Amino acid sequence: MSVQAPERPTTADYFPTEEEYVGLLGRRTRRATWFKLFCLGMLTIAVLALATLLYTIVNDSFGLVAVVNQNEPEDIVAGLGHDPETTTLGDLDYDELVGLLEANVSSGVGRRLEREQRFYEDRLVFEDEATWTEICSSDAPPTGCTAGPRDGANVLALVQERVVVPDVIASYELVPSMLDPEAFEAEVMAGFEAGRFPEYTADQAQFEWRAWFSPTFLMSPASATPEIAGIRTAILGSLWLVVITVLFAVPVGVGAAIYLVEFARPSRFNSFIQTNINNLAGVPSIIYGMLGLAILVRVLEPFTSGAIFTSGPAPSDNGRTILSAGITLGLLTLPVVIISAQEALKAVPDSLRQAGMALGATRWQTVRSQIIPVAMPGILTGTILAIARAVGETAPLILVGAASFITLDPTGPFSKFTALPIQIFQWTSFPQEEFRNLAAAASLALLILLLTLNAAAIVFRNRFSRRAE
Amino acid sequence: MNNETYTEEATLDTGAPRPEVAAGPKPAGAPATSPNHVMETRNMSIYYGDFRAVADVSLGFARNEISALIGPSGCGKSTVLRSLNRMNDLIASARTEGEVHYHGTNIYADGIDPVRVRRTIGMVFQKPNPFPKTIYDNIAWGAKINGYRGSKANIDDLVQEALEGAALWDEVKDKLQESGYSLSGGQQQRLCIARAIATKPDVILMDEPCSALDPIATLRIEELMLELKRDYSIVIVTHNMQQAARVSDKTAFFNVKLNETGMRTGRLVEYSPTEQLFTSPNEKDTEDYITGRFG
Repeated sequence: MSVQAPERPTTADYFPTEEEYVGLLGRRTRRATWFKLFCLGMLTIAVLALATLLYTIVNDSFGLVAVVNQNEPEDIVAGLGHDPETTTLGDLDYDELVGLLEANVSSGVGRRLEREQRFYEDRLVFEDEATWTEICSSDAPPTGCTAGPRDGANVLALVQERVVVPDVIASYELVPSMLDPEAFEAEVMAGFEAGRFPEYTADQAQFEWRAWFSPTFLMSPASATPEIAGIRTAILGSLWLVVITVLFAVPVGVGAAIYLVEFARPSRFNSFIQTNINNLAGVPSIIYGMLGLAILVRVLEPFTSGAIFTSGPAPSDNGRTILSAGITLGLLTLPVVIISAQEALKAVPDSLRQAGMALGATRWQTVRSQIIPVAMPGILTGTILAIARAVGETAPLILVGAASFITLDPTGPFSKFTALPIQIFQWTSFPQEEFRNLAAAASLALLILLLTLNAAAIVFRNRFSRRAE
Repeated sequence: MNNETYTEEATLDTGAPRPEVAAGPKPAGAPATSPNHVMETRNMSIYYGDFRAVADVSLGFARNEISALIGPSGCGKSTVLRSLNRMNDLIASARTEGEVHYHGTNIYADGIDPVRVRRTIGMVFQKPNPFPKTIYDNIAWGAKINGYRGSKANIDDLVQEALEGAALWDEVKDKLQESGYSLSGGQQQRLCIARAIATKPDVILMDEPCSALDPIATLRIEELMLELKRDYSIVIVTHNMQQAARVSDKTAFFNVKLNETGMRTGRLVEYSPTEQLFTSPNEKDTEDYITGRFG
């Protein structure tokens, strides 16, 4: 390349010759290609992992089942004088449903149901008036004394559970159910021959499609009978938790972040606090559960049970309430909310602060009117991610004392509660196989809930950032 | 010292009688302010931590004049400018010694709220920095936060007046509700000037206001400055000596001096009427600089 060799190499001579450069360029391009392929491969692995997760959940949430009913719904309807061709259990009126319960349920179970929640405002079905007055005036009256009467859907679920008593004896996954339904029937029949279902005969078994994830599933309260168990209580519990968590974590977190970024002068103390916030973000969630149990449930019991807000009996007899759990989840998300809000605030150019201050605004006026609107989309993004994380948390809720089995909907911050992840966790530990399908369906519900919350928050955020422009 | 107190001050009149900065205790034996001077610095030194960025600056800025601060990079001219309305207080490590008098009151005296100082001594920055809001809100905000009591119609008038004052009205009158970011760089800078004059300041500080602009936009801002000096006193920092020569009435030349420990401290070399400084400077350093021998 060089025309005339210089006596001494100059700095320019250390650059490669034309041929060397072409060779180098080829190697650099190949390396870039390999790296791109590597990243693509990693992306594929991530997508595959997520797809597998979704596949497993959906696969377990739908599919063929073999059901044996103790009493066929058609027979029940016909027994009441309706045409079984046109009438289903859902078409029966309230009195008929209660009548069915009265006729088919033992008096002990009936009394228990009535004490849990009564059937009629004005009369009792299973209890007699004297006993009722007595137990309601006792020190610990059952919930039926104060709660309103059951509604139609509730009683229909009871009839399904107590009168029809469907028993799913075997279930099949979605994909094999679609590809090879006969294999499932053959499997169940083989099971009968092998004596796996000694209580039933083979001709009692009905094969039907079952969507474990269904509107009924979403709307029904929890139950020990998998066929009629639902997640309404858990969904409401999770929604209440989100509300309390947001109400706690967002003002506290954003306020702390604004102070640290906009007002705090650099000092040893402030950098100590900053370091601790960063460390707290890495503390395992179970430790927040311990904190919640020790402080919120035990020490602050008068507050978390609602006792200090009323002169009468406390809304809850202990601190294991939605309020305790929500604040625990709020504390859990707080470091992430603070850190992301700080990052969002730091990303606002200093020139805006100077512009505001130079007009004679106070620091707070500048922050409120100029800095926060610009930082808001960033603050919201971090908050959304943190809250979404909290919705799926299980460990702290177990410690704070989410109820393992509860059929009454939560009505406020002082209610006992359960939440979707708790429900899923419990169902997976039950022996009956159907609960695994229920757990899968509940997982699907949890995912959908999360997606809905995220989507709503993102829409909200985008509207906010458009307005700020 | 000079820790800011973020008190929400009682509202100030934005109208004609010029608000005087609250009377702090006058330092005993302070020389009387020259009646013609809006602002004066007296033996002002500015430190960043232990580093003395500017030493012993004594300058007076006359009413309805444009005073230019020129000098090589790092000579502290922007630092001096920012100390005139206590914007340096925003930098945690910055510290000012000496006195800065505004109408005879030391703005660094105890009990003077820097918010109040900035409200009467406005500022335009090097890079246009409109708020990410509408053109209208960019201008109206300064009035609102300072307690402007006028109705919506009064605010409309104020916005129009400020935009006319900044020679921007004809270009934006049909798009007041569009974002300030939709304007070109030169328009944005004039929007920032309009924003500054909308609060009816007394003095406007300009920190290299044209350095991010093209020559045509620069020319418009310079014409605007000459208009503005009828109503305001202007102090401008510029890198561009021609600009200083074109617009300013008096020019201060700053230079960097190495001190015994090797620290680079800015010092005021010469402060004279612009024509004199550019034609027959008193100091050798000034002459070297303006003839392009260094800097």
